[in-house]
Amino acid sequence: MVTGRIPRVIRTPAIVLRHRRLGEADRIVTLLTPGRGKVDVIAKGLLRSKSRMAGHLEPLTLVELVLAHGRSMDVVTQAQTIDAFPAIHSDLDRLSAGMYLLELADRITVEHAEAEGLHDLLHAALVRLARGDGQQVVQRTFELALLEATGFRPELTDCLRCSESVAAEAAWWVPVEGGVLCASCAKTYPEAQPIDATALRVLRAFQSVPYEEAGRIRLTDELAARMEQAMHALMRAVVERDLKSAQFVSAARRARVAGEASEDTETAKDD
Amino acid sequence: MNDGRDPFLPGASSPIARLVEAFHRLPGIGPKSAQRLAYHILRTQEAEAQELADALIEVKRSIVFCQQCQNLTSRTPCEICTDASRDRHSICVVEEPLDVLAIERTNGFHGLYHVLHGVISPSDGVGPEDLKIGELLARLRDVETEVSEIIVATNPNLEGEATAMYLARLLRPLGIRVTRLARGLPAGADLEYADDVTLGRALEFRQEVQ
Ligand SMILES: [Zn+2]
Repeated sequence: MVTGRIPRVIRTPAIVLRHRRLGEADRIVTLLTPGRGKVDVIAKGLLRSKSRMAGHLEPLTLVELVLAHGRSMDVVTQAQTIDAFPAIHSDLDRLSAGMYLLELADRITVEHAEAEGLHDLLHAALVRLARGDGQQVVQRTFELALLEATGFRPELTDCLRCSESVAAEAAWWVPVEGGVLCASCAKTYPEAQPIDATALRVLRAFQSVPYEEAGRIRLTDELAARMEQAMHALMRAVVERDLKSAQFVSAARRARVAGEASEDTETAKDD
Repeated sequence: MNDGRDPFLPGASSPIARLVEAFHRLPGIGPKSAQRLAYHILRTQEAEAQELADALIEVKRSIVFCQQCQNLTSRTPCEICTDASRDRHSICVVEEPLDVLAIERTNGFHGLYHVLHGVISPSDGVGPEDLKIGELLARLRDVETEVSEIIVATNPNLEGEATAMYLARLLRPLGIRVTRLARGLPAGADLEYADDVTLGRALEFRQEVQ
């Protein structure tokens, strides 16, 4: 009886999440694929300057790959860029947001777990970022959809403890529990944080309306920052670690605001 | 010589296994190379092994960060920072000390350097606060600074781009010109196999043929 492995070659689209060095010239590339979820594959000779695959296997790229079955990991034999999202790469706010989406998708998924539709969710979010949709809307709706798809849907309307529905003005935010508490239940919960009522209302809307409708909601910078703060805390609790890319999104924005402020003083001086 | 276990087996507690492990931790050294190096050391004279050990300790004890450019040096400020013939109007920002050597070899740059010791890479747990960016800002805010241009020479990949754009954003309010190395196709590359970003940039930064 022949029990040998069936040799196989598969062709699949994939979003490159990250890569790390393996030995002198090879790389382990972490991909998000439609059919097999998150997988690590080996790309050989990628660090040699004449490698034809190198530019096609950078993070934040949608690629078409041919993978050959390998002993421990599949090996990339062909790589072709489908979309490198140049519009994301040309702007720091979009780029940092894109890096954040990648890190979220990476940290929240277990290897080979076929989390249904994650690849499509990430792809859609990257397309929206690239075409210039509001970055806050893209990031918040992605977070909520990702949590939904991985079984971490946050509870934004009913108190997590007593199940009573909570008015936005009376709600407290509890990232480690994944949602809100009513004012009286929050009294016995030291980790409960206040949350801006408007920020919570908009998050509720994002959780229940289609993306196109969410995109029509106008957000001031201040409101967007409050929503970001609440959702970053929630995501950190879900993946149980600091998200460096979330901090980078905030750092990039702080640098932009500081730059705009100094331009204003320049203009004021000119007047 | 051993208790019957393979002395090269990782995790075995023999001195050889310890040496193999130590080599294996070095960047770019796989298990096979680590075994070859360990075997090589075993065959050399003791004096030669001693020289290697001494050199390792010496470098750890005598090399420090230059207080200005953050490059590794045996004295601070380093040779480049104190060289009066160098142009003090431009600073070339690089990821690693080895990049300074590479740019020096081109003989095309005569300004000063700043070594970040890494690049913004959230997936590796590295953010701006983990790099020598604060030290760069301090240099530029110094009242005696003559710097008017920063050339960001980070690698042409996602992390290098993010770092360059972040630096540009930080430095703009200081009124300093920030430039990026022009990115072309690597020598010997086929246009046919080039990825879109590289090709796009190569076109964007095209130069007149002389
Ligand atoms: Zn120096």
